[in-house]
Amino acid sequence: MNWRSFRSWRSFGYWHEAVLIMLVLMLFGYAAMVDAKFLEPATQLGLSSDVWELALVALPMTAIIITAGIDLSVGSTMALAAVVLGLCFEAGMNPYLAALAAVATGAACGALNGVAIAGLKVHPLIVTLATLAAYRGVAEGISLGRPISGFPDAFTALGSGSLLGVPIPGLIFAVLAVVAAVVLARTPFGLSLYAIGHNPVASRYSGLPVARITVTLYTMAGAIAGLAAAIYVARRNTAKADIGSGLELDVITAVVLGGTSIFGGSGRIVGTLLGVLAIHETRKFVGWHWEREELNVIVVGGLLIAAVLINRLFEKKAR
Amino acid sequence: MMPSILRTREAGVAALILLTVIVVSVINPLFFSANNARDILINAAPGIIVACGLTMVVILGEIDISMGALMGLCAAVLGKLVSADHAALPVWLSCVIVLGLGTSVGLINGLLVTVGRVPSIIATLGMLTALTGIGDLVMAGETIGNFPDTLRSLATGTIGPVPVPVFVALLSVLGFSVLMRSTPLGRRIYAVGSNPHAARLAALPVQRIKLFAFALTGALTALATLISAPQLNVIEAGFGRQFELLVVTAVVVGGTSISGGVGTIIGSALGMLLLAQVRTVLIFLQLGNSATYWERAIQGGFILVAVLADHLGRKRRD
Repeated sequence: MNWRSFRSWRSFGYWHEAVLIMLVLMLFGYAAMVDAKFLEPATQLGLSSDVWELALVALPMTAIIITAGIDLSVGSTMALAAVVLGLCFEAGMNPYLAALAAVATGAACGALNGVAIAGLKVHPLIVTLATLAAYRGVAEGISLGRPISGFPDAFTALGSGSLLGVPIPGLIFAVLAVVAAVVLARTPFGLSLYAIGHNPVASRYSGLPVARITVTLYTMAGAIAGLAAAIYVARRNTAKADIGSGLELDVITAVVLGGTSIFGGSGRIVGTLLGVLAIHETRKFVGWHWEREELNVIVVGGLLIAAVLINRLFEKKAR
Repeated sequence: MMPSILRTREAGVAALILLTVIVVSVINPLFFSANNARDILINAAPGIIVACGLTMVVILGEIDISMGALMGLCAAVLGKLVSADHAALPVWLSCVIVLGLGTSVGLINGLLVTVGRVPSIIATLGMLTALTGIGDLVMAGETIGNFPDTLRSLATGTIGPVPVPVFVALLSVLGFSVLMRSTPLGRRIYAVGSNPHAARLAALPVQRIKLFAFALTGALTALATLISAPQLNVIEAGFGRQFELLVVTAVVVGGTSISGGVGTIIGSALGMLLLAQVRTVLIFLQLGNSATYWERAIQGGFILVAVLADHLGRKRRD
């Protein structure tokens, strides 16, 4: 499979990313005029504390949507992984070992999704809708809905500590984002995801192990949701079955806003990064400047629909 | 060989409901009471009403996940209009306004999907997000109470021996079943869902049919709000949250194929009943205080079972 055969999906360059950058710059420009304090690094750093879980989960979600799949269960996977972390810790396990258990739990959840999707050939929307309910249900069931807290400082640093002024979750995210971008754009595995998204039947006939790739992909998504859960628990010093509720919608919004087609076959990590950035900055600015949390939800919903409509316009012209 | 009607998904779900009722009644005879059945039906009613519209949307090969947020907004607007502390409009006028609101939101969803060619999951996801915010904006962080008795009777009144919500749900199921089975529109919905390309070539008004289904789902969501929100003394933020997941689950458990073309209203209604039973069953099985925490896990399990049944059925046919 050569690189050139995949050029069609990027023939009109990076216009989507450019639009997003312009949107963010316009927001910054407006912020500079009305409330310059918003742009100070200290403010931005303070406001960024809760974006990392969303950003982390958006990476595998991009890959999944590129294959024309979807994972609605990421928020519930996070809840289950967090509860497992909490219960392991309560049972006397080292919190970092417990965090590993959380990642393993996430991977198991993802693997189950993948097997149901690839093995039973059920639409990912249905499978992950079922596990959206089931994983959170199990999380509520095994924790009885109670919060677990009292983690040691050595562990909470994973969520709220910083290294040379950069938050540790941000560092973890940066590393994983680079890995994800390289894997998607430069490895046979990454390119096969685009192929599957374009035409799953042709991919199978040309010898791609579609089922194995699907299971691997969803398993990785689960593992990263588990990691995000560990970071969340460390940041808030609480593990509870209600965490990550509704996260799946935010993540999908960010990915689609970033230009990944919901029909599969196209999308980039850069776009997703900008999608996350646009949503995060819009949200925080609206919350910061007008102090109205409910406004930012409206803006994000409008932004999503607008982005897809613009996307559609450009596609028409490209044809 | 079983008669063909017993091999349908509807029969399977009905059998599962019946089996649950029998088993739970044997374990705890108190479960088998008219009051209990009435409560389960009332709980299921809003979901059944909305499922009538959503079933059409899904049969058309589309999806709508904005119903929960729309329900929240409708409840907030209804509360603001009718409450003696706020606008204190007449009940009938408020209801008409809320129904209009639901229909318009459904229409916007439909226009985004048909004219805007936005994938329905994205359009309604954006709508979900935006409506949640608008709902919170209307609520302004307060709770709304002080409703006139006429409004309360929409949710708690009875027509003969039948509670109003159950009556409305029954009527919807009957009406829309007839529509799907015996009218040209119903047949066209199946036609578009099973082969959109062929339907377009046959000059069916695909866009208008989709527009209708989305608008109807919006209207039915408003209707479901009218018969469920007044059950409570106050309306709080978060009303209707994640209601969409419940209804989508019911539709899928009831045998409607997410890729379109296949499904019935009755199936969805039975699916909703099955899901609505879970909580009551868990309480009556007396497994201890913690049992209800497993409600969602069991509901998720139902979809997996439904999906598995589908898979095995397909294998046998192949």
